[in-house]
Amino acid sequence: MSNSTPGWWRRTGIDLRLILMCVLLVAMGVVFSVMSGGVFLSPENLYNVAQQTAVVGIVSTVMVLIIVARHIDLSVGSVMGFVGVLIAYLQYTSGWSWPTACLAGLAVALLVSIYQGWLTAVLGVPSFVVTLGGLMSFRGAAFLVADGKTQPVNDEFFQRLGGGYDGGIGTTASWVLAGLVALVLFGRMVQKRRARQHHGMPTEALWLDVLVTAVPAAVVFAFAAVMNNYQISSKTEAQGIPIPVLIWAVVAIVLSFIVHRTRFGRYVFAMGGNPDAAALVGIPVKRVTLMLFALLAVLVTVAAIVSIARLNAGTNSLGTGMELYVIAAAVIGGTALAGGSGSIFGSVLGALIMQSLDSGMLLLDVPIGKRMVIIGQVLIVAVVFDVLYRRKFGEN
Amino acid sequence: MTDIDTSKPLVELRDIHKAFGGVKAVDGVSVNLYPGEVVALLGHNGAGKSTLMKMLAGAYPIDSGDTLIAGEKVHIRTPAEAQGQGIETIYQTLALADNLDSVSNLFLGREKMTRWNTLDDHFMEVQARKVFHRLNKNFTNIRVPVRRLSGGQRQVVAISRALYFNARILIMDEPCAALGPEETAMVGGLVKQLKADGVGIFLITHDMPDVFSLSDRLAVMKNGKLVGTYRTEDVTEDEVLGMIIAGKRPEGKEQAPHAATAAVAA
Repeated sequence: MSNSTPGWWRRTGIDLRLILMCVLLVAMGVVFSVMSGGVFLSPENLYNVAQQTAVVGIVSTVMVLIIVARHIDLSVGSVMGFVGVLIAYLQYTSGWSWPTACLAGLAVALLVSIYQGWLTAVLGVPSFVVTLGGLMSFRGAAFLVADGKTQPVNDEFFQRLGGGYDGGIGTTASWVLAGLVALVLFGRMVQKRRARQHHGMPTEALWLDVLVTAVPAAVVFAFAAVMNNYQISSKTEAQGIPIPVLIWAVVAIVLSFIVHRTRFGRYVFAMGGNPDAAALVGIPVKRVTLMLFALLAVLVTVAAIVSIARLNAGTNSLGTGMELYVIAAAVIGGTALAGGSGSIFGSVLGALIMQSLDSGMLLLDVPIGKRMVIIGQVLIVAVVFDVLYRRKFGEN
Repeated sequence: MTDIDTSKPLVELRDIHKAFGGVKAVDGVSVNLYPGEVVALLGHNGAGKSTLMKMLAGAYPIDSGDTLIAGEKVHIRTPAEAQGQGIETIYQTLALADNLDSVSNLFLGREKMTRWNTLDDHFMEVQARKVFHRLNKNFTNIRVPVRRLSGGQRQVVAISRALYFNARILIMDEPCAALGPEETAMVGGLVKQLKADGVGIFLITHDMPDVFSLSDRLAVMKNGKLVGTYRTEDVTEDEVLGMIIAGKRPEGKEQAPHAATAAVAA
């Protein structure tokens, strides 16, 4: 719904800006690959980049909506740490099964989020202040859960949720999945054309629709192919698509659906575009804000689960500094900090750009200090680009 | 529609009070509105006319006083409840979400859903096209964010809400403030058409030609209080200005607590 595209691009439903970001991502891949002697684009590295990005990517999708609604959440990293340690603690120290521990974690995340959402939506305290406090408090809470002790997670099935050794879905399943995605994409294209004809509205040229559908389908196949080429030497089968990436993809699809097809999604954008108007036309602003924070809680819990499953442990420092990566991914992905504009798919690209940059520099042995300087400035560049782009194409 | 019953008021606001902090924004105001009638609400900025209308529209709660719609006492607490009573409001700010397109704005808060409980975008687009076309034949770029539209087009979107959802009572707050002559004429024509359909209209305006060409009665407010309600044809522009500026009732002119037609019937 970030309608900022000029010319005929708009009619295809593609944001020119997202295309630019795809180009940037590809360019980064090529440059890092050349500089690292081909290591960057190797299946092993791409597998790792993909699953490392998943945790930040999952939270970024919903951070887009929070920012669109003119709020912010600085406490996501701390809350994720708190919930993550709690889930690990309940499994390791209290001996709960992993599904019960996860549900308990979700309940606690919901309480935290509703508390912060209530302060924001009902009392009108700026979310910046509420979650700045939360950033500190819930980091402390993460320490208190297990007295600062690391809580190992041993359940083998649970560990697979984080990717890692047994965390791919295998080659056959990956191909089948890619095929299904392609089928769904083409099915949707046909359905959309039929619906438009049914309502007497003009349809696009067939070749254009096919192209717009075929490119993403090809990307999905390429991704499956690369993941099917990565084999850990001690295993007999290649990894296939890592489970965290699958979870991220499902989350992104569900959130895109919410944005484009549900009342809730439309209200979030309306509130971000003009909060006064939203209230005047009868949108229940407080309730929608609370629901938004509840949605955030669900996805922070999912991210916490993936995170501790990947590390095989919950530690009190889990997710430290993550809020910056999450917000950066959303902003690089074209979410305006002023609210009212942003896209879920943009956040996916934003998260990939951030992680590729980080991991590419790591491969090139760029020291940590320089990496932090560069990533910080990349965020500034993204915001400057955003400002200039909106000025040029008539958005403010 | 020919069988409009103009003998009973559509809206009665009785002894309405509203205070913000210590400031009495609306202080014991009573006005009414009959079907097919245009009542102009006049007064300085801060006289309380917009506040009064926002209470009728459900945007502010009423401190005390009664609201009657078609003779029945109602409690309007939210904009949605006002809409449920057939009250539509065209705000001076237009109340548009600038980042959404015209179709989304037309249906905002009242989206048409499919049976899967998802947004029925195709239905909404087709309907929106029809309403917009009725108001402005050249308005076709309905899928761009409304921030890119002209003042007149934005006004069309705001007015379309009242039109599409069949307003019974319409509140127009400075509907022509940002419009050119052609668009002002369009709004004037629309007001007359809605009147003929039996819609009751509260018109907030500062523009004297609008008052005298469109309204049947006028109610003047000053400092939160009602100065008086008169039949528009009974008073002159100078007398109206006297009421607005000095709060002075014109001498020897009879107040008009009821609509013109009702007065004749009585």
